[in-house]
Amino acid sequence: MPAVLRSRLAPIGLLVVIIAAMTPLIAGSAFWLDNSVLVAIFSLLALSVGMAYGQAGILSMAPAAFGAIGAFATSIVTTRYGLSPLVGLALALLLPAVVAYPMARAITRLSPLPLSIATLLLSLVLELAIREGKGLTGGYIGISGIPPLWFADSVFAMHVLSWGLVVVVLFLYANLTDSAVGRAVKTARHDPLRATADGVNVPALLASYFAISASVSGLAGWLYAHHLTYMGPDSLTMHVSIKVVLMAVIGGASTLLGPVLGAAFLTLLTLYLPAAETQGMIFGGVLIFVLLVAPNGVLGTDWGKLIARRSDKQPMAVRPAATEGTA
Amino acid sequence: MTVQVKDITVRFGGVTAVKDVSLKLPPGKIVAVIGPNGSGKSTLFNAITGMVKPAAGTIEVDDTRIDAMPPYRRIGLGLARTFQTPRFDPKVTVSEAVMCGFYPVHRTGVFSAMLRLPKAVAEEGDFRERCSDILDDLRLSEFRSLTMNELPMGRVRLVEVARAVANRPKYILLDEPAAGLEREEQRMLSREIRKLADRGVGVLLVEHNFGLIRELAEHVVVLKDGAKLLEGEPETIAKDRAFIDVYLGSAGR
Repeated sequence: MPAVLRSRLAPIGLLVVIIAAMTPLIAGSAFWLDNSVLVAIFSLLALSVGMAYGQAGILSMAPAAFGAIGAFATSIVTTRYGLSPLVGLALALLLPAVVAYPMARAITRLSPLPLSIATLLLSLVLELAIREGKGLTGGYIGISGIPPLWFADSVFAMHVLSWGLVVVVLFLYANLTDSAVGRAVKTARHDPLRATADGVNVPALLASYFAISASVSGLAGWLYAHHLTYMGPDSLTMHVSIKVVLMAVIGGASTLLGPVLGAAFLTLLTLYLPAAETQGMIFGGVLIFVLLVAPNGVLGTDWGKLIARRSDKQPMAVRPAATEGTA
Repeated sequence: MTVQVKDITVRFGGVTAVKDVSLKLPPGKIVAVIGPNGSGKSTLFNAITGMVKPAAGTIEVDDTRIDAMPPYRRIGLGLARTFQTPRFDPKVTVSEAVMCGFYPVHRTGVFSAMLRLPKAVAEEGDFRERCSDILDDLRLSEFRSLTMNELPMGRVRLVEVARAVANRPKYILLDEPAAGLEREEQRMLSREIRKLADRGVGVLLVEHNFGLIRELAEHVVVLKDGAKLLEGEPETIAKDRAFIDVYLGSAGR
């Protein structure tokens, strides 16, 4: 599909156009700008799930935990030590990867499920550590007074900055997917032995890829901390992780823009849902609906084919490759 | 400058699948391994590429001991292989599948790939060019944009070969490449194998089809119950009573 490969960056262009068209409409409203920043932050978290789950097949239940590592890193160095948020940014990118790599390295040898459980445990341990972190993390009270970014000190500037970062991440992600490494990751997800025969060190490659996805979460955490100027033990919890996984799956975890679409959809849905208690019910309902109708997510589904198949009511044609040749 | 397998023994629990088998694969030569089902051909193959661990024996590639190396490093040393049952992602296009074969020779790091530095662009372009050359060679160009599950079995096997030769290996191990191929496809495959050998690649062929072996191989190793029964030139082997009895039966003449 050379035509599609040449337009590898086309979805990113589409996103830029949408954001550019939307910006003047919401520029006057602090409420919508604020939500726009949140959608961008959740997009980054969901993209991290897209990389880990959609590409490498590792269902991580810890995107928010990696985000919390990034958020606390920048909160601590900026409030306690008075360092620049850029130092915080470097830490927010680095620390989640440093935690994610050995974890994945130890567990990708097994199967995706143990890694998924390990990420869940990481979330729990981290939440405990934050509560018990006393002076360092602020314990139950958290850290307030995190300085806003001096180069983006208004909500409008944050809106531009955070969407700019989403676009940069998408650009890097699209390039990586269409490279020897990206192809090897896809092969390894589908069939590790096949990837090994291609000369791929599967555990090391998947662990590196997982570490990169954790960095993207860390970046989201960095934005989150400087946007809300408060970071506490209830900020980026496991519930947020589950919501983020939902976003990625609903939008289409293996597609470029799917996680962004999912983040926008669920964030807007949350705004119009009456009470917090009903949210879980509706999220669950949406997830079941999507998994039944389009298990690859909204953008991961060939809708034309799906509708044609439904209306034909004909079974799918038997593929020639499905029949073994005569020996 | 050879692949040298010395006294390899592979055990699965109490079963000895391969027993004291030695074999030499010089560059530019085609060596065939033949034997009835369950004689240990594929196990020998897997031992050489590192997918199973031998209980005893040594394997050297160009005077480097490789029997303790993980499989991916052996591939990196220039030892490519195909699978008896082709392994592929059915949703990937033919050219994309062949592109996966370039992994061992890729030199751009993750970061230059992400930033699309000129180095990465040049390498990617080089791979695409080499990919279309390989597809041309195997007459697969017209199928390049089809996905793997749209291809007939014969072509799938050719794509597997294309993927294995992409990184220009020094030695290639083909596990029953002609199984399920039509006559025309078989001819194309054997011409391609010959071409590989002429280019200096050592080819180790596991095959049931003695006609193909006769046509291609310079040296044949016959396995029976995991042990080497005999070896020699195909013409001598074909006349050997012991070989005819265990393998071909009366139909073999």
